[in-house]
Amino acid sequence: MIIENLKLIGEKTLTEVAEASTLATLDEVRVRVLGKKGALSEILKGLGSASPAERPVIGAAANEWKKKLETALDERKVSLEQIVLDAKIRDERSDVSLPSRMPHRGSLHPITQTTRKLVKIFSRIGFDLNTGPEIESEYLNFDAVNIPADHPARDMQDTFFAGPGVVLRTHTTPVQIRTMKSEKWPVRILSPGAVYRNDSDATHSPMFHQIEGLWIDRGVTMSDLKGTLSFFARELFGSETKIRLRPSYFPFVEPGAEVDVSCFLCRLKISPTCKVCRGSGWIEILGAGMVHPRLFEAVGYGDAYLREGLTGFAFGIGIERVAMLLHEIPDLRLMYDGDVRFLSQF
Amino acid sequence: MKISFNWLSELVDLSTLGATPAVRAEKLAELLTRRGLEVEAVERQDTGFENVVSVQIIEKNPHPQADRLSLCKVSLGQGDPLEIVCGAQNMKAGDKVVLAQIGAKLPNGLKIELSKIRGVVSNGMLCSEEELCLKEKADGLLILPADTALGVPMAKILGRDDTTLTLKLTANRADCLGHFGIAREVAAALGVQAKRTLVDSFCKAQGLGNAPIKISLNAGEKAPQFYGCFIEGVKVAPSPQWVVKRLEALGARSINNVVDASNLVLWETGHPVHAYDADKIQGGQLGVRLARAGDELPLLDGTSVKLTGEELVIADGRDLERAIGLAGVMGGGNSEVSDSTSKVYLECAEFDAVSVRRASSLHLKKTEASHRFERGVDPQGLKAAMERFTELVLSLAGGKVVSAEIAQIPEVQGISKKQPEIACDPLWFEKFLGMKVSPEEAKTILEGLECRVEHLPADGWNVSPPSYRLDLRIKEDLAEEIARSLGYDKIEETIPDLGSSPRSIGVSPSRQGFELQGIAKDLLAAQGLCECVNFSFCGKKRLEEFGFASDVKVINPLSEDHEFMVPSLLPGLVHNALGNWHHHFGSETLPIRLFELRPTFAFQPGKTAVASEQNGLETGVQENWKLSFLLSGPKFASGLQQDLGEIDFFDLKAVVERLFQGLGTKGVRIQAVSEGSDGAFHLFHPGQAAEVWIGKDRAGIFGLLHPAKNLALKARGPLWIGELDWGMIAKLSRGVTASPVFKPWPQFPTMERDFALLVGEAVTADKLTQVALKAGRPLAKVSKIFDIYRGKQVAQGMTSVAVRVIFYEDARSLQESEVEAASAKILESWKKELGVQLRS
Repeated sequence: MIIENLKLIGEKTLTEVAEASTLATLDEVRVRVLGKKGALSEILKGLGSASPAERPVIGAAANEWKKKLETALDERKVSLEQIVLDAKIRDERSDVSLPSRMPHRGSLHPITQTTRKLVKIFSRIGFDLNTGPEIESEYLNFDAVNIPADHPARDMQDTFFAGPGVVLRTHTTPVQIRTMKSEKWPVRILSPGAVYRNDSDATHSPMFHQIEGLWIDRGVTMSDLKGTLSFFARELFGSETKIRLRPSYFPFVEPGAEVDVSCFLCRLKISPTCKVCRGSGWIEILGAGMVHPRLFEAVGYGDAYLREGLTGFAFGIGIERVAMLLHEIPDLRLMYDGDVRFLSQF
Repeated sequence: MKISFNWLSELVDLSTLGATPAVRAEKLAELLTRRGLEVEAVERQDTGFENVVSVQIIEKNPHPQADRLSLCKVSLGQGDPLEIVCGAQNMKAGDKVVLAQIGAKLPNGLKIELSKIRGVVSNGMLCSEEELCLKEKADGLLILPADTALGVPMAKILGRDDTTLTLKLTANRADCLGHFGIAREVAAALGVQAKRTLVDSFCKAQGLGNAPIKISLNAGEKAPQFYGCFIEGVKVAPSPQWVVKRLEALGARSINNVVDASNLVLWETGHPVHAYDADKIQGGQLGVRLARAGDELPLLDGTSVKLTGEELVIADGRDLERAIGLAGVMGGGNSEVSDSTSKVYLECAEFDAVSVRRASSLHLKKTEASHRFERGVDPQGLKAAMERFTELVLSLAGGKVVSAEIAQIPEVQGISKKQPEIACDPLWFEKFLGMKVSPEEAKTILEGLECRVEHLPADGWNVSPPSYRLDLRIKEDLAEEIARSLGYDKIEETIPDLGSSPRSIGVSPSRQGFELQGIAKDLLAAQGLCECVNFSFCGKKRLEEFGFASDVKVINPLSEDHEFMVPSLLPGLVHNALGNWHHHFGSETLPIRLFELRPTFAFQPGKTAVASEQNGLETGVQENWKLSFLLSGPKFASGLQQDLGEIDFFDLKAVVERLFQGLGTKGVRIQAVSEGSDGAFHLFHPGQAAEVWIGKDRAGIFGLLHPAKNLALKARGPLWIGELDWGMIAKLSRGVTASPVFKPWPQFPTMERDFALLVGEAVTADKLTQVALKAGRPLAKVSKIFDIYRGKQVAQGMTSVAVRVIFYEDARSLQESEVEAASAKILESWKKELGVQLRS
């Protein structure tokens, strides 16, 4: 009788386990059947009324059912857990093509990036750096660099004045004078910075940036100037780049030269459609020359020039000009607009 | 300056440059540029006239398919006649007309190609004057004179056979401001002689007798020479065609034969000359003197100038009382040559460069004459210029020389003899230039340039440049002459010997400053800010808009928007934001994140912008570098709407803190602003702004642009801005040379206690943590606020603040009881010092 009951309960429970669709139902079944007050326990409580001969048989059968049911419950639990996890995983699926939460990307102005490139290149051959004020005396900006008052060379640079004898520097050349006045030669410096000229259109800005280089030592030659600039051009525009010097005039140097570099885009193939050199094969990029002896006089190097063969070279590069070439920027004015559509590209 | 190729060809033999004039012109341009006389443009006058020739219409028939068109058979004089479709009506068989052949590209840009017009092939186009750009409007074809030969290029018929070269001359080459000067330069390059035949019309008239006009020099060395020539019986008339064409090629306009003669002399010799109507010269006197302040002088251009007394003038009258010309700049309107002039007085003089330059800039008269005088004219070139002038006037306007006179101050003879002598060592050139050049080559080059080379007993040279080369004064000038003659491409490329080792970065403050700026810029860029560069000047309106003033003013600004040097970078940045919004469309919030690191300008206390005497090293202007920034828009660059959020004060604060962290700036504190604390305080929302202190100094301010200002500017969103004193930061930052030093972290477990506190409004987070760390010493090492709550659950005016304190010792584990004791002390201090309660 008990055996039959056991079997009845056991088989019913197996069905219930198989049908349980949630972990909660399964747990309810476990408690109802295998719990302390569960059906199986209740049956075993009635064991006392069974004959001694039946007891072991019933006991064995009960244990057998208990094990069977526990196994079934455990297995069902595992599979239900798997189903729950599967569902959870299914629910947690992300569309990975949705936009990311990206931090903003900042940038350095092309003027800064270009200045850094130039400083790095010249640092490799031992140039130090010096800077000076953007508002200078007329003396340092002009007279000391061999552009006396009432000289037509002053027309080369339309000047802003901030007071009697005070100008917004038209070039960073005053830094050369400041450096030489305060230091003994040899001198190897670069002077980057903003300069001002009273001029404004698509290719001229009233404020722009220059980097000048100065190398003063005994016996520095014009071929040293050429070699140095050639090294610079190769570093900046690629190892095949050539330079070309044309005679020109800057009052603070003698001899003076305009320097062109071979077009880095068409590589002297001279295509009339080349957007960089417009078919000339060459790009005008800087002015240079041998330091004029008047500058040596102005800074107290006069004796060394006369007695020790002190010479030197200087060059000046327009930073915006180089930046426009490197980044293919079509209009100079874009540099100073603060337009994020422009700035965020670099 | 423009030069005419044809004119130049008369002055120097250019035939060796190439086979055709076109090739020669191109080669000439190359040669001049290579020698430092940069040619900017080469313009052939026949541009647009290639393949355009004269033809004769031999048959004119109606077009088979179109009533308004005709079909012409034209002859080029040889070969088969061509069939041309034509829409004009004014021609008939036998007329000579202009044919643009296949391949022609007309001056108006039209390309002529083989085409079918209404089914009939046309072998070119018959042209009107309009199509040839000879007239603005023309009806019908250009009918050529009946005696025109056939098949002749149109450029030849029109006399357009010259080529104009535009030179960008440097300020030192005054000697090349005329065709003869260029010819001399070309001659030196080609190893030939420039040629010029001068008739001595002026010289032979010297001492002819009583001069009707006496000349005098009354300005000392400022006007050392004056050549004058009286010619009577001239007939002022339009110039002949060759003169008109020559002037046209140079971009100048023909006026009359006498004035044109003076212009031709200027363009040929580079020496400005002038012709007066001799009848208008009063008192038989003409002289140079300094102007009298206040005198009015009417000029040739119809304007009148008030003289200051600094100018040189040409004057007439018994006592030279009347000014009739601004010397070296422009002739006077009161002595001008006119159609009725029959006697002319010709002037060729030398004036001081500085005086002419001052007069010309003072009265804003930049003329061809002043351009040349201020660069310096050849003191020995007056005679040649005067001979040419006299000859040209006589040949163009007729007449007879009455008198020819020369006035010179006594010093002139001495001056012209005293040419500079440049001492140099012939072997030095090769060393200095770094190019192969033997003394013999150097000498040949210098002599080719008309320098006199004198050998000194001891190996050296004395070189005397010709009188017209005012730019050759020192041996370096000679080196340039040698280098440019041989070609700069012959200079070798060497890398200089370093000689001394490069200095280390640490030695130079400029280098350190540059590197430190780089670090700051990198830190801000890494936080998503874009660097911008604004002009250093702005207008008064902009300054007032932001409540700033600037005392550093540009005297000659580009416009009133560029009048003042900026005292702050913030107005520029805010306007950058407005500009960005201006071109932003759509509903999305625009991220604007900018920074700028540039100087601002002010006078040093008690100074003005006047250069001081100490070698001009000081100007009275102080440059204060500022690091300024602006943030607006979403927290993230991308993401879903709900994630993007909007920037608030703490995003801005993070930018500032991260900056100082990266720079290693010592002693930075950020605290609430107090009224009037900073020059830019008024720009900020008083409850959403903070001051930055470094040690005892205020180093800047940042926060929300004041809502009222925001509204006034019509900003499209809140603007978070800030400006820091970069100079101060740079001084107190770790810099590039110092390396961060390793610090060990706690080796034993830490313990934490969290406190929920009720605090009043006056108590700041800073105070809570400071008190906790002080009271919990030495175990309490970190204290931080991790939550705040205001609202229904707490009393009005109170805030619930959650504070976490972290305890540890470097050398041992802590006991529970020690932490309890420390916590109790902290609570006690909070209660006592700040009136804070534990929240129940």
